[in-house]
Amino acid sequence: MDLQTLLSFHWDTMMPEFIILISATVLSLIDLFIGRSFSRKFFGWASFIAVVAALVSLISLSDHGVTTILNNSYVFDSFSIVFKAILLIGTALVILMAISDKFENIEEVKSEYFYLLMTGLLGAMFMSSSGDLITLFIGLELLSISSYILVAIRKENSKSNEAAMKYIINGSIASAILLFGLSYIYGLTGSTDLAAVQQIVSTLSGTELSGLLGLSFLFIIVGFTFKIAAAPFHMWAPDVYQGASTPVAAFLSVVSKSAGFIIIIRVLLNIYAGAYSPDGQLPLLINMQNYIFTISAITIILGNAVALMQTNIKRMFAYSSVAHAGYILVPLAAVSPLLFENIWFYLLAYTVTNIGAFAVIQYVVSDENNENIEAFRGLYKRKRSMAIALLFFLISLAGIPGTVGFIAKLQIIASALANNPINITIVVIMILGTLVSYFYYFRVIAEMFFKGDRLELQPPKNEIPFNLIVVIGVCVAATIVLGLMPNLALDNFYKLFS
Amino acid sequence: MIHSAWLIPVLPLLSFLIVILFLRNKPKLGSLVANCFSLITFILATLVLVGRLQGDSLLREWNWLEVGSTTITLGFEINALNSLMLFIVSFVSFLVNVYSLEYMEGDDRKSIFFAYLGLFTFAMLALVISPNLLQTYIFWELVGLGSFLLIGFYFYKDSARAAAKKAFIMTRIGDVGLLIGILLLFTQVGSFEYDEIFAAVRNGELIGSVITASAILIFIGAVGKSGQFPLHTWLPDAMEGPTPVSALIHAATMVAAGVYLVAATYPLFEVSQIALTTVAVVGCFTAIFAASIGLFQKDIKRVLAYSTVSQLGFMMLALGTSGYVAGVFHLTTHAFFKALLFLAAGSVIHAVHTQDIEEMGGLNKRMKITSLVFLIGTLAISGFPLFSGFFSKEEILISAWTSGNEIMFFIALFTAFLTSLYMFRVYFLVFTGETSEASSHAKESGSAILVPMLILAVFAVFSGFINTHWFGTYLSDFLLEDAQITVKETHAPTWILYAATIVSLAGIFTSYLLFGKNKTKFGESSFSKSPVYSIVYNKYYIDEIYDAIVVKPTRLFAAGLKFIEWFCVGGIMKTISGCIQFVGWIGSRLQSGKIQTYGTIAVFIFALFILVYGVTNGGLLK
Amino acid sequence: MSSIPASSFLLLAIILFCIGLYGALTKRNTVVVLISIELMLNAANINLVTFSKYGLTPNLTGHIFSLFVMAVAAAEAAVALAILIALYRNKPTILIDEMDDLKH
Repeated sequence: MDLQTLLSFHWDTMMPEFIILISATVLSLIDLFIGRSFSRKFFGWASFIAVVAALVSLISLSDHGVTTILNNSYVFDSFSIVFKAILLIGTALVILMAISDKFENIEEVKSEYFYLLMTGLLGAMFMSSSGDLITLFIGLELLSISSYILVAIRKENSKSNEAAMKYIINGSIASAILLFGLSYIYGLTGSTDLAAVQQIVSTLSGTELSGLLGLSFLFIIVGFTFKIAAAPFHMWAPDVYQGASTPVAAFLSVVSKSAGFIIIIRVLLNIYAGAYSPDGQLPLLINMQNYIFTISAITIILGNAVALMQTNIKRMFAYSSVAHAGYILVPLAAVSPLLFENIWFYLLAYTVTNIGAFAVIQYVVSDENNENIEAFRGLYKRKRSMAIALLFFLISLAGIPGTVGFIAKLQIIASALANNPINITIVVIMILGTLVSYFYYFRVIAEMFFKGDRLELQPPKNEIPFNLIVVIGVCVAATIVLGLMPNLALDNFYKLFS
Repeated sequence: MIHSAWLIPVLPLLSFLIVILFLRNKPKLGSLVANCFSLITFILATLVLVGRLQGDSLLREWNWLEVGSTTITLGFEINALNSLMLFIVSFVSFLVNVYSLEYMEGDDRKSIFFAYLGLFTFAMLALVISPNLLQTYIFWELVGLGSFLLIGFYFYKDSARAAAKKAFIMTRIGDVGLLIGILLLFTQVGSFEYDEIFAAVRNGELIGSVITASAILIFIGAVGKSGQFPLHTWLPDAMEGPTPVSALIHAATMVAAGVYLVAATYPLFEVSQIALTTVAVVGCFTAIFAASIGLFQKDIKRVLAYSTVSQLGFMMLALGTSGYVAGVFHLTTHAFFKALLFLAAGSVIHAVHTQDIEEMGGLNKRMKITSLVFLIGTLAISGFPLFSGFFSKEEILISAWTSGNEIMFFIALFTAFLTSLYMFRVYFLVFTGETSEASSHAKESGSAILVPMLILAVFAVFSGFINTHWFGTYLSDFLLEDAQITVKETHAPTWILYAATIVSLAGIFTSYLLFGKNKTKFGESSFSKSPVYSIVYNKYYIDEIYDAIVVKPTRLFAAGLKFIEWFCVGGIMKTISGCIQFVGWIGSRLQSGKIQTYGTIAVFIFALFILVYGVTNGGLLK
Repeated sequence: MSSIPASSFLLLAIILFCIGLYGALTKRNTVVVLISIELMLNAANINLVTFSKYGLTPNLTGHIFSLFVMAVAAAEAAVALAILIALYRNKPTILIDEMDDLKH
C-alpha cells in the first residue's frame, strides 16, 4: 500500500473520530505537562466541546455516501451515523454530569476522567464503524479498558476498586469467549472482513461447517451479553454500578450498552443472517433465534425481579438497566424486519431518560451522602424541580404513555407482533416485566412525593450545579418531546436510510 | 361544533397546566379558573351532543407514528355513545368542580386539587373520544394516574397512600390484560382502529377463539377499572380520597370507563357467546357480592362504594346478556344518582365530621335539603317507580330474562331487593330518628354544595324518561343509530315490571322495619348483644322472621363471599407476588459478591447453550 | 511438521481455553486468575494462527489479528494489575473471594 492509495481514502469521514482522538491526546498531554497547582476545571468543558464538535461534524457528514477506508476495516454508512449520534449524545451528557462529580476528600474532579471517557467513546465509535473483526475487537477493548479504569478512578475507595476488579475479571473472561468465537469465524471463512465473511458464509453448507458457525454464534452472543449487561453475563452490573461513581455508571449503562448492541447488530446481521443453518433450510439467525429469545426472557425476568429487592438506588438502576437490555433484545429475538429503528429508537430513549435519571441520582446521592432509596424521601418538598424531573424519567423508563419510553416499547412490541404473531410470547414476557418494573419505579416516586414529614425534612445543602441543570433540562425536554412527537427523531432516521 | 370536539379534552388539560404551573399558591383564583374551564368544557360537550343528535358521526385522524407498514394514528371520533359519555363526564365534572369550591375550602392545597381534577377530566374525556384502541389505552392509563393522584390527595395519611397505591396496582393488573388483548387484536388485524377491527370481525377475518380471547382480555381491563370481582377491592379503599373525587371518579366516570370500554368494543363481544357469558357471570356475581357486603358496612362512603361496585355489576350483567342499551342506560342514570349520593354524603360528612352511619341520626331536621336530595338519590338507586333507576334497572332485568338465563335474573332481582335494603339503611340511620350527638351540631351546607346536588337530583329523578316504553325509547334509538351491533327485538313480559317494583318496595319496607323503626346496628357491640336478642325481647316477631330469612342468611352469605375473596383473590395475588419475590430472592442470593460465582454462572449457562445446541444439531457430536 | 493435522492445534486451543476458564473460575489468587485469562486469550491466538496457516484459505490476517490480541491482552493485564494494587492499598488481600463487599 503506497502513499497514493493511503491518501485516496476519504479520511474526512473519520472527522468525528479524529476530533475525539486529538482532543483526548491533547488533554492527556496537557495534564501531563502543566503543574499540579494548575486548575484542571476547564478539562470537563473542553472535552464537552470536543464531543459536541464531533457530533456537529458527524451531522455535517450525514449526506456523505457510504465510504470504506483501509480495505473495509472502517465503514462509514447510515447505520454508523445514526448509532454514533446516540453514542456522542450520551457521552456529551455524561461528561456534563462528570464535571460536578465530587469524590470524597477531593475538591476537584480528576482530569483523567474526561479523556478516559473520550477514549471509551472512541472505542465505541470504532465499533459502530467497524467493517472488520479486528477493528471491531480493538474498538471493543478500547472501550472496555477505558471503562475499567473509569470504574476504578476513585482509587482511595475500596468499593470502587472492588467494582473495577469484578468488572475487569468478568470482562476479560467475556472477551476471551468472544475472541474464541471470532477465531472460528476467521477459520471458517479465512477472512476477518465482514463483507467478505458475509459472502463466504452464504456459500458454506454441510452440517459440520454450519454447525461450527452456529457454535461460534453462541460464543459471540455470550461474549456480547457482557457488554450489554444481559443474562448470563449480567451479574457484574449491580456491583459495578454501585461501586463506580454515578456518571461512570451512567456511561456504562448507556454508552457502553449502546455500543454492545451496535456490535451485536453488525455481527449478527452481517455474518449469521446470510448463513445457512446445519439442516440447510433456514438462515442460521432464525435457527439461533431461540437462544436470543432465552437470553432476552431470562434477562427481563431476572432484572425486574431482583430490582424489586434492592434498597440501594444505583443497584436498583443497575437491575433496571439489565431489564432494559432484555427489552432491547426483543427485536433481535423476534428477528423483526424493523430491528434497526426499534433498537435505535429504544437506545435513544434509554439514553435520554437513563442519563437524566442518573443525573438526578448524582445530585441527591451527593447531597444526602446516602445511596439508599430513603435519600429520596420527601424530595418533592425539598427540591421540587428534581422530584418532577425524576418523575418524568421514571415514568418513561416504566413506559407510561406520553413519554419517549412508551413509544420505544410500543415500536418494539408492534413490530415484533406485526412480523410474526408467534412473538406474542416474548411480548407478553416483556409486558409482564414492565408491570413488575412499575413496583420498583413507583417505590421511588412514592418516596419522593408521599413520604417524609414536612417538619423533619431538611432543605438540600447544595444548589444544583449548572451542568446538571443542563443535563436534566435536555433530558426532560427530550423525554417529553420525543414522547409526543417521535417523528422528530424517526424522520431523520428514515431520511438517512432512504 | 362537532368538528372542534377535540377542544373538549384540551380545555381541562389547559386548566391543569395553568393551575399547576401558575396558580399553585392562589387557591381562590386557581379554583375559579378551573371552574371556568370546566364550565366551558361542559357547554362544548353539550353542544357536541346536540350536534350529534342533529347530525352524523365524525372521525378525524392524523398520522402519528409509522412502524414499518403500519401507520398509527391519533385523532378523535364522535358517535352516539361517546357524545353521550362526553356529556355525562363533563356535566358531573363541572358540578363536582362547583361543589368542591366550598367542600375543599380551607385546604391549603386547594389549587392542586382543582388541577388534578382538570388532569383527570382531560384523561377521561380524551379516553372517550379516542378512535382507536391504542389511544384508548394511553388515556386509560392516564385516567389511572389521575385517579391515583386524587385518591392519594391526602397523602400524609398512611391509609390514603396505601389506597392510592392499591388502586393503581389493582387496576394495572387489569390494564395488562387490556394491553395484551389490544396487541392480540393488532397481530390479527394489523390495526388499532375500532372501525377496522369491527370490519374484520364482521367479515369473518378473525377466528372465533381469537375474538373470544381478545374480548375476554379487554374485559379484564374493564374488570380492573370498573371494580368487578376479583379486582374490586381497590374501590372501597379508594374512598380515602376527598368526597367530591369519589363522586366524580368512583361513581360517574372512571369506574364507568370499564363499562364504556365493553360497550365501545361491543361488536367483538357480540360474536362470542363465551365472552358475553363471562361478562354476564362476572357482572352478576359482582352485583350480589358487593350488595351483600354493602349491607354490613358502617362507613357511609364505603356503603356507597360497594353499591357502586354492585351497580357496575348490574351494567356488566346487562352488557353480557345482550342488553347494550340497558347497560349504557343504567350507566347514564347511575352517573347522576350515584354522583348525587356521594355529594350528599360529602355534605353530611362535611357537617358531622364522621363517616360512621351508626353515629349519625336525625339529620333530616338539621339538613333539610341534603336529606331531601339523599332521599331522591336513594329512591332512584332503589328503583322506586318513576325514578330514573327504576327504568334502567327494569331494562337490565328484562335483558337478563330475555337472554334466557333465569338464575341470573333471579340473582339480579334479589340484588335489587338488597340494594333498596342497604341504601335505605343508610338513609334511615343517617337522616331519621333521634338526633345523635355527632349530628347535633350539624348545619346545612352552603349554596355551592347544595346547588350541584339539586341539579343532580333533578337528573336523578327525570333522566329515566329518556328511554321508557311508555313515552319513547329515545336513548335506544339514538345509540343504535351507529352502534355496529345487531339488535334483537325483545318482548319482555310485563310481570318483570311489577316484580321489580315489588322487590324495590319490599326492600324499602324491610329496611324501614329493621333500621327505620328499630335502628338495628351491626356494630361491634351487636355481636355480644345480638340484634336478634333485642328484637325478640321487643316481640317484633316479624322482625325475627326477617332476621332469620334475610339478615342471617345474607350475613352468612357475605361471610362466605368474604372467605372466597380472601382465599381466591388474596391467594392468587399472594402466589403471583410470592413467585416474583422468590425469583428476586434467588437472583439476589446468587449475587453473592464473589467474582468467580458470576463467571461460573455465566459459563454454566453458556455450557448449557452449547449442550442444547450440540444435542439439537446432532452433527456436531458425531 | 506438516504431519501434524490442523485439528490437533484446534484441540490444543480448546484444551487450553478450558484450562484457562477453569483456572479463572476457581483459583483464589487474583494474579493466577489473571494468568488463567491470558491462557484463554492465547487459546484464541492459537486458533487464529492455526487457521492462518492451515485454514481453508491460508492468509496472514490471522497472524495480524493475534498480534493485536497480544497487545490488547497486555494492556488488559496491566490495567488489572494496577487495579489490584490500588485495591491492595485499601484492603490488604489478593484473594479474589474476599472481594465481596458489594453484593445482593
